[in-house]
Amino acid sequence: MQGYIYPNEYELQWSLLIVLYPYLTGLVAGAFILASLERVFNVKEVQPTYRLALLTALAFLIVAPLPLQAHLGHPERSYQIFLTPNTKSAMAMFGFVYAWYLMVVLLLEIWLDYRKDMVQWAQASTGWRRWLYYGLTLGATDLSPRALRFDESAGRWITIIGIPSAFLLHGYVGFIFGSVKANPWWSSVLMPVVFLFSAIVSGIALVLVLYMLTTMFRWQKIDMPCLDKLAQFLFYALVVDASLESLDFIHRLYEAEESIEILGQLVENRLFISLIVLQVLIGTLIPLIALGTTSPALRKGGMFRTPPDLRQLIYLTSAVFVQIGIFSIRWNVVIGGQLFSKSLRGLTVYKVELLGIEGLGMTIALLVLPFAILWAIAKILPPWPESEAVRPAAPQTA
Amino acid sequence: MRSLPQQVPRLAIVFGVALGGLFVARGLLIPDTFGDRGHYRAAAVDSIAAQPVKFAGRAECAVCHDDVLKPHGAGNHRGVTCEVCHGPAQAHVLAPLEVKPSVVRKRELCTACHAFDPSRPLGFPQIDPVAHNPRAPCIGCHRPHTPEPPTPPEACSACHGHFARQKAVSPHAALTCETCHQAPPQHRTNPRAALPGKPESRTFCGQCHGTPETGVPQVEMESHGQPNLCWQCHYPHYPEIR
Ligand code: HEC
Ligand code: HEC
Ligand code: HEC
Ligand code: HEC
Ligand code: HEC
Ligand code: HEC
Ligand code: HEC
Ligand code: HEC
Repeated sequence: MQGYIYPNEYELQWSLLIVLYPYLTGLVAGAFILASLERVFNVKEVQPTYRLALLTALAFLIVAPLPLQAHLGHPERSYQIFLTPNTKSAMAMFGFVYAWYLMVVLLLEIWLDYRKDMVQWAQASTGWRRWLYYGLTLGATDLSPRALRFDESAGRWITIIGIPSAFLLHGYVGFIFGSVKANPWWSSVLMPVVFLFSAIVSGIALVLVLYMLTTMFRWQKIDMPCLDKLAQFLFYALVVDASLESLDFIHRLYEAEESIEILGQLVENRLFISLIVLQVLIGTLIPLIALGTTSPALRKGGMFRTPPDLRQLIYLTSAVFVQIGIFSIRWNVVIGGQLFSKSLRGLTVYKVELLGIEGLGMTIALLVLPFAILWAIAKILPPWPESEAVRPAAPQTA
Repeated sequence: MRSLPQQVPRLAIVFGVALGGLFVARGLLIPDTFGDRGHYRAAAVDSIAAQPVKFAGRAECAVCHDDVLKPHGAGNHRGVTCEVCHGPAQAHVLAPLEVKPSVVRKRELCTACHAFDPSRPLGFPQIDPVAHNPRAPCIGCHRPHTPEPPTPPEACSACHGHFARQKAVSPHAALTCETCHQAPPQHRTNPRAALPGKPESRTFCGQCHGTPETGVPQVEMESHGQPNLCWQCHYPHYPEIR
């Protein structure tokens, strides 16, 4: 401890799990926005990652509320926020933001996109798998061109609704922090926007990593134009994100409110590693330089010509670095915001528990869980290009 | 008329079931009085009101313990109400002889509030329980109902022990502090508001050391140590000849 801090500020209330929560929702929103790129903006190159991105978003979305449940400690009561909605509480509205996104956007889009394949898989398989696929189609087995056209156009519309919804989902998380008036480290209108762009960055980076790893472990060839395009988008998103972060930073410095002194101490002492080293250096500058020079973001074919193998390695490393950086951002916001006294007089420390419901073990478990879920979903609904039923499907009558 | 695509009715059923489920659940699970008076179950107020009363409140004690109440209300602990120290006493009020409130006579009762803690507000009376009259019960020296702030110590040594102890073993042992420092009385109660004076010139020491009649060791005031002040070479509280 250093300086002066009130007893009620000595212990941090929002633990590591609350760091995890915006991190996970960010990945959801980011992965979904990547998927929308292909659909709405017709970026053909990233097509091989479209379904992977959607399923990733779903897997992480399923896990996203779990850190909150574990943190609050009464998961059995969580349904009540749906029964008696409290419109005056931003936190209580989370259930609706979440449900909207899960039901109306993500599940619907995945269903429409997979319907044709599910029908064909149902026809091609036997036993319980047949019934499973049939059940998943909800009995809508019509594969006539008209029905397929409906899938296509409805899916498009849902993606269009989905983009603002994804913005809502993660902007909402930023809003929760940005609207805490009493906390000078959080209270900023830029917060939702900063959250959003960091979400996009993390989502693209995650899908890039997943795409590379899953392709490698299926012994397939990586689609280099696709990967280049992903890296290019990652670079752009990173530039916007870094600019917004710096804008926020400069704004604070220039405004120099009474809190600036303690925030300065906060950054210099408590957050030095996680902000300066991990977030800025490892999570932003290094990937920016690496991607800027090797990806086709600034110049067709990259500033330096690199063999694809080397480029893959650079992309993979950059994406992993970006993940570290984004996790640090969440840490710096959530933990950083609680490390200083609200009377601006002193700093406290946060010690992460190892076991226990809010500990490191739980955090790691919740970080691994989405990958397990993704693996399970991918077993049922393979997102790989080669498993897609041949397009265009033979016209059939229902 | 063209029929709707097959997907639409199926999806509509799923969403209809989900929404319907929500409304049914609302009907079944929301407690009856929810929302009557605000975003909570109004009947909760009644169930809380029905809980047994545990604390009686200070006013109740007046009937029988007026002898304690009066001085307590005028003393330094007037902001600390009876049941803070004696625990919930409603049962005692109802049956004074059968149920006795707790009376803690241990040091822990007091150190809960008075042990030094940097987060306590400035000026709150605090002690270091290890150093402050260890092991003796606090109530042996302080009346729990009407504790007094310590009387300000008379001796300069109470606050300036370091100087006093040095002086006591120095050639100046016989000199009182006031010989050299004019201390206004207020300095003892509110030290920083009225600082005592300090010798300012060589002639001050010369009163004795330049005046043979005093019988103390003499120096040639005109030349000795000029042009410096005497205390630049001799520490006044422990003068040495070097
Ligand atoms: C109806 C009269 C009455 C009221 C009201 C009452 N007391 Fe008492 N109290 C007594 C009597 C009688 C005794 C027993 C005295 C004795 O044993 O010498 C007693 C004893 C005590 C004792 C000493 C217990 C002990 O073990 O020595 C405490 C402390 C005390 N009361 C606190 C309170 C407080 C606090 C209240 C107010 C919430 C209160 N009393 C209200 C009548 C009352
Ligand atoms: C700071 C804590 C504290 C507070 C506040 C306090 N008491 Fe006490 N009280 C004590 C302690 C300690 C004793 C035991 C004194 C002893 O044994 O010498 C005591 C003793 C008593 C007794 C026993 C008889 C006596 O006088 O020794 C009564 C009665 C009593 N208190 C009533 C009250 C009432 C009524 C109030 C509120 C007006 C009150 N006390 C507030 C600490 C407290
Ligand atoms: C619930 C907290 C609490 C407990 C328990 C408590 N006190 Fe106090 N005490 C106070 C408060 C509050 C004051 C008034 C401080 C002020 O005037 O700023 C005070 C004042 C005093 C003072 C006067 C000091 C001064 O400089 O004004 C003394 C002495 C004292 N308490 C001794 C005791 C003793 C002995 C006990 C145990 C029997 C005790 N206190 C238990 C809260 C407590
Ligand atoms: C041997 C008698 C004795 C005992 C036992 C004793 N004190 Fe004191 N206490 C004093 C004296 C004398 C003073 C005033 C001189 C001083 O500050 O040392 C004092 C001062 C205080 C003050 C006022 C400090 C201030 O800065 O205003 C508090 C509070 C206090 N005591 C609490 C306690 C508590 C709590 C205990 C039990 C843990 C306790 N005392 C035990 C004799 C005692
Ligand atoms: C209640 C505690 C207390 C008592 C008793 C007390 N002093 Fe002080 N004294 C202080 C404090 C506090 C200061 C200020 C120290 C500072 O500001 O650094 C001080 C400062 C002084 C100074 C230095 C003034 C200066 O200009 O730097 C002198 C000389 C002094 N005291 C002499 C005395 C003498 C002589 C007595 C006895 C008559 C005495 N004090 C009694 C607390 C006390
Ligand atoms: C022989 C004269 C003499 C006597 C007796 C004396 N002092 Fe001093 N004292 C001085 C002088 C001279 C200074 C100024 C020293 C300086 O400015 O460096 C001084 C300075 C101080 C200071 C200020 C210390 C500082 O660092 O600024 C304090 C406090 C003090 N004296 C306390 C006492 C107390 C308490 C006693 C009694 C125990 C005492 N003095 C006795 C001559 C004396
Ligand atoms: C009230 C008279 C008085 C004043 C004023 C006074 N002194 Fe002294 N001084 C004495 C006495 C008495 C002795 C002890 C003589 C002895 O040991 O026989 C002494 C001893 C000394 C000694 C040691 C001499 C030795 O031979 O051991 C020095 C040095 C000294 N004083 C310096 C000072 C200084 C410097 C001042 C001014 C700040 C000062 N004195 C003010 C009375 C005084
Ligand atoms: C530059 C340093 C210095 C200054 C200033 C100074 N002295 Fe000295 N004083 C000494 C030294 C060195 C001695 C011992 C050698 C000597 O006797 O000359 C001494 C010796 C003394 C003695 C002891 C003489 C004896 O014969 O026992 C006294 C008394 C004394 N000084 C008082 C004073 C007084 C009073 C003042 C201020 C007017 C003063 N001094 C200023 C350095 C100094």
